[in-house]
Amino acid sequence: MSATVTSLAEGRLDATLADGADVFDLVDAEGGHVARRIYADAGIHGFEQERIFRRAWGFLAHESELPNPGDYVERQLAGEHVIVIRGDDGVVRAFLNSCRHRGMRLCRADKGNASFLRCPYHGWSYGRDGGLVSVFAEELYDPEHLDKSTLGLIPVDQLDSYKGLVFGCWSTETPPLAEFLGDMRFYLDILVARTPAGSEVVGPPQVWEVHTNWKFATDNFTGDNFHLYTAHGSVAELGMLPPDPMSLAFGNLVHVQGGHVLHIVPGPPIPQAEFFGVPNDLRPLIEDTLNPLQAELARNHSFSVGTVFPNLSFMQVMVQGSLDSPPTPFMSLRVWQPTGPTTTRVWSWLLVEKEASPEYRQATYEAYVRTFGPSGIFEQDDMENWEECTRVNKGAVAQRHNLHHGMALHLPPDPDFVGPGTAWPGSYGERTQLCFYDEWKRWITVAHPWAGERG
Amino acid sequence: MGGAAVPVGSADYNAIAEWLYREAAMLDRGDFAGWLGLMAPDIAYEMPTRQSVYPKDGEGFTTSFGFFADNYSSLETRVKRLATDQAWAEQPGSRTRHIVSNLLVDALDDGPGGGEFLATSAFLVTRIRSDLPYDLFTGERRDVLRRDGDGFLLARRTLLLDQTVLKSYNLSIFF
Repeated sequence: MSATVTSLAEGRLDATLADGADVFDLVDAEGGHVARRIYADAGIHGFEQERIFRRAWGFLAHESELPNPGDYVERQLAGEHVIVIRGDDGVVRAFLNSCRHRGMRLCRADKGNASFLRCPYHGWSYGRDGGLVSVFAEELYDPEHLDKSTLGLIPVDQLDSYKGLVFGCWSTETPPLAEFLGDMRFYLDILVARTPAGSEVVGPPQVWEVHTNWKFATDNFTGDNFHLYTAHGSVAELGMLPPDPMSLAFGNLVHVQGGHVLHIVPGPPIPQAEFFGVPNDLRPLIEDTLNPLQAELARNHSFSVGTVFPNLSFMQVMVQGSLDSPPTPFMSLRVWQPTGPTTTRVWSWLLVEKEASPEYRQATYEAYVRTFGPSGIFEQDDMENWEECTRVNKGAVAQRHNLHHGMALHLPPDPDFVGPGTAWPGSYGERTQLCFYDEWKRWITVAHPWAGERG
Repeated sequence: MGGAAVPVGSADYNAIAEWLYREAAMLDRGDFAGWLGLMAPDIAYEMPTRQSVYPKDGEGFTTSFGFFADNYSSLETRVKRLATDQAWAEQPGSRTRHIVSNLLVDALDDGPGGGEFLATSAFLVTRIRSDLPYDLFTGERRDVLRRDGDGFLLARRTLLLDQTVLKSYNLSIFF
């Protein structure tokens, strides 16, 4: 199996842009070409919102952000404001953050704890389970015109979680979360649920805005390991990457299924780099928690970066936070939220094993914040690249010419890789990026992208 | 960390104000190596993340998580990185103005030898890159300055940013 244009004999949706171009023609996964236009086009942004972000499962929160009944966070799902709140029964629910009376944004804080969600406009109040509890001057309504049982907050159409990761979906047609994630769960276990107690957030998300199309971020997080020595040349020059630019080319690129992709890369052949470099006290917990195949992958690898289609990414890397500090691992989750054709709001969470020592929590935080996020000595240069790519690709003349995604496409799959999905040898290549774009095209051009024969 | 107020216009106040102005000038002129020389070996340079919360929940800052959590070594790493010609976020460089105002100084009685001052100030930092619009950063600095010979070293800087969502694509500058 390889990334090829999907067979679309049935169920094609019209995906014609204002000038007559068909989105179907903008990605040539077989040939390794992607049209620049996909990164800067209002019509494509509209299709993405309608057909990808209002149909696919999107990441909302980590359960550890809501430890107690009444705890809530405000998030966005396909650009809609959503309250994620834990009820008195311990269940996490998610609702459109909008009063049923005038549509007022009910909860206007990023986080908090509430007994009731009371609208600041006319006082309609909702319980932690979303039910409408009281209405101002209720005695003035004809009861026939106020059936409170039908006026609860509008729930996210589907809500589910996997190992602490809470996802929502604005479509009832989309398959359940477990099916949507499929075998990606095998890898998520390794990344976010590898100890008995699982992971938790270290703090609130860092949130920042970048003038880029969201797909430049996913492009980077769908297996682009070969940008390291150029984009992060400054850090390499300081000796914070191994001197040989090909020394991180090992490992595998993996298309798990449905556009969920990752790379997984071994570190230097030293015990310290095993189990992604986490401290020794956590390693037996990992071996006991994961199944043997998962544990083998965890033991033999140091780095993994990937994306859960469409816009949840993760990075499990070990890095020096400064020239005199040892390589230290961190695990970050990302949401690349499109806010327009060429603007993206980035959400970045840092996760750590609940069993982690206070010393390791501090060390992993420092390693993360000094290298990634908006101030990180690695990531600040990524965003420079993504903004300037987006800026130039807006041009009508620029858009006459496709972009090149052709590295290592000739390599056959690696039969020795033990995890699920299709794996290719080496971590320098553009195969997984093309799998992502092929899936992207599928969601825009097909009625039921989750079903049927795949390429 | 309360202490005795150092009156506006007093010798110590004036010396600290001048130190802050000279520090700002070094940053705005791109003299990062010189700026590093103003840092104490035990510098803690932090910018906590902030969330928008109701007043009952405080100011929304998180003490354990932020946009910066640097020590001397990591600041030195940042400065050395900028000195390579591959730090793309600063190639070409940001043009910044560090406006420091509303300075209040308190003498801290718990510093070694009583030589530490808490200098709180409001900052407005502007950043322009390329032909792009201004990035604007406002907030409060809480600095601990330690007397060092005739001058001061920065022992702690806590940057309380007003933004909860950074309206800027990166923080490749110093504050």
